[in-house]
Amino acid sequence: MLEIRDLCVEVHGEEILHHIHLTIPHGEVHALLGPNGSGKTSLMMTIMGFHNYVVTQGRIYFQGEDITEKTVTERARMGIGVSQQRPPTIPGVTLRQILDYEISNSESRAAIAESWIPQARVDNFLHRHINEGLSGGEIKRSELLQMLVGDVSFAMLDEPDSGVDLEALDIAGSMVNAILTEDPAHPARRKTGLVITHTGQILDYVQADKAHILIDGNLVGSGNAHLIIDTVSQRGYAACGQCMQEKN
Amino acid sequence: MATETRSKASGAEKPEDFIIKLQQEGRALPENQDSEPLIAPDEVNEEDAVQLQEVGVFTDQRERSGTFVMQDFHTVSAMSLVDGLELLPIHVALETYDWLQEQYYFKAVPADKNERTAFVAAQDVPQGYFIRVKAGAEITLPCQTALYISKENIAQAVHNIVVLEEGASLKLITGCISHRKVPSGIHMAVSEMYIGKNATLTSTMVHSWGEDVVVRPSAGVVVDDGGSYINNYVSLRPGADIVSNPTTWLNGKGSSAKYQSVILGSEGSRIELGGEVFLNGEGSSAELNHRGVCTGGIISQQGILQGNAPCRAHVDCAGMLLERRDEGYIESVPGIRALHPEAQMSHEASIGRISPEQVEYLMARGMEEREAISMIIRGFLDADIEGLGQELDDRIATIAQMAGHGEG
Repeated sequence: MLEIRDLCVEVHGEEILHHIHLTIPHGEVHALLGPNGSGKTSLMMTIMGFHNYVVTQGRIYFQGEDITEKTVTERARMGIGVSQQRPPTIPGVTLRQILDYEISNSESRAAIAESWIPQARVDNFLHRHINEGLSGGEIKRSELLQMLVGDVSFAMLDEPDSGVDLEALDIAGSMVNAILTEDPAHPARRKTGLVITHTGQILDYVQADKAHILIDGNLVGSGNAHLIIDTVSQRGYAACGQCMQEKN
Repeated sequence: MATETRSKASGAEKPEDFIIKLQQEGRALPENQDSEPLIAPDEVNEEDAVQLQEVGVFTDQRERSGTFVMQDFHTVSAMSLVDGLELLPIHVALETYDWLQEQYYFKAVPADKNERTAFVAAQDVPQGYFIRVKAGAEITLPCQTALYISKENIAQAVHNIVVLEEGASLKLITGCISHRKVPSGIHMAVSEMYIGKNATLTSTMVHSWGEDVVVRPSAGVVVDDGGSYINNYVSLRPGADIVSNPTTWLNGKGSSAKYQSVILGSEGSRIELGGEVFLNGEGSSAELNHRGVCTGGIISQQGILQGNAPCRAHVDCAGMLLERRDEGYIESVPGIRALHPEAQMSHEASIGRISPEQVEYLMARGMEEREAISMIIRGFLDADIEGLGQELDDRIATIAQMAGHGEG
């Protein structure tokens, strides 16, 4: 589904991702772990194609197609979606307008929106300027709702579990689950996803098939999600990274 | 009556020099056409009717209480469809009502205010509309008027008067447009609005001018006790050289005025919106809301509110500069002046840009870049501007689309 080969990325002239190789097969959900500032969010933004993230080397393939030069719009229309941690505010543009754009003329998307708007508890900011003055939890619910209605096939989620209380985590968890569900009748059949998590809490809601550790812009190791999270929480990222490198 | 007017105005100022200037610019001057018979709005030929639609004037008169059309130098059509609304060519009204000359004609705008008002005043047969809404009449459907230039490089002189008697209300749509095939000309309009006690006039102006058309309206508005004047201005086609500085006298106790403008500026265009509002009545209030999107050319948002009594006033100018071009800028110079200790006045102004992050955020939901920019501009133009109604909302969407597609 997604394949990244030897990817180097610069932001403002400084290389922040070094020779990344990453493959996420169709129907798998991978977790992306790493300390603050290690480049996790940058990797997502690069996959989405945002202009600040300049690919200096390597390629990104999606569904077998090289998307390295494609625009954000083209990638979004291929089914790639991202929920951001710190999305921009846009005066005069509301969450409702964006949802309406995503729904366009699709009855099924409209039904998803109407059923999730109350569950996602976005009613009180649905008609306000997007992202303006929202709490961390509200931003997550807004972002996840946009992904749900947008019906993405590859979902990138930037810390859906950080800074939210248990109840909010519950909502975020069920939304993430819904985003990654391909067919409610077949729970085992899932969409493809990449989830950044610090705490691993979201993995109580969404089983990750694999986890990757990113340190200082280097993908230092990959393996079983639960084992890696346990190791990180006991011994820290540095030790875990070292251990991975030794193993490799 | 018309003859009297001419002699009076020419006495006030001799516009010979101005006429020479117009001739040097190759402008065709107004011809005497008072004998032209009026036609019904739906008799306007189709080509012209299509032009008028762009600025909200529909010759089939659907959802309208009355229609006035002036084409080039003469009135084509003037028709009221409802009781309580009188709609006449100004020269006919001047012949009909003595009081029009005595109380209203060149009273809110002095004939000698400038060379253009003097030129308008010097016309043999003044052209334009006279609208009167009788006391207590609330006209629910909008009344539409079109000031239309269909010939190349003419000097169009217009004089409009609107009188709302006590307790009357009217929604007036004025569409000003030059034919798509007419790039140049000059439009000079004197507009005098008299809002009686507890009367409400909502005046919506939609402009769509060719790229070399010079537009110089001179407006004066007088508002009596409890009266209210709302002016919405939308400029669609981004060319032209437009300078509008209306003067508003809020003389009445509790009288109010609200000006809202939405304009698109582009390379080579100059749009200056300003004017003065005098808050003379106790408890009067005024609000100015200017929104401009500049893709080149000059947009200047000005205007001064002067508080001469216990009053409230607020000016809000907001601009968005889309592309850096060598020539062209947007400026906001909101002004307030208090002459009374109980005048509460405030102003704010901001000029911003669209950040690539905002555009990409929307693109990541599947929008094309242009769609995203249009949505952001639309939001910017709509923000805090209220009650424009569906028709103007649609036009703002058009502006946003044009600006988003780099057509501005």
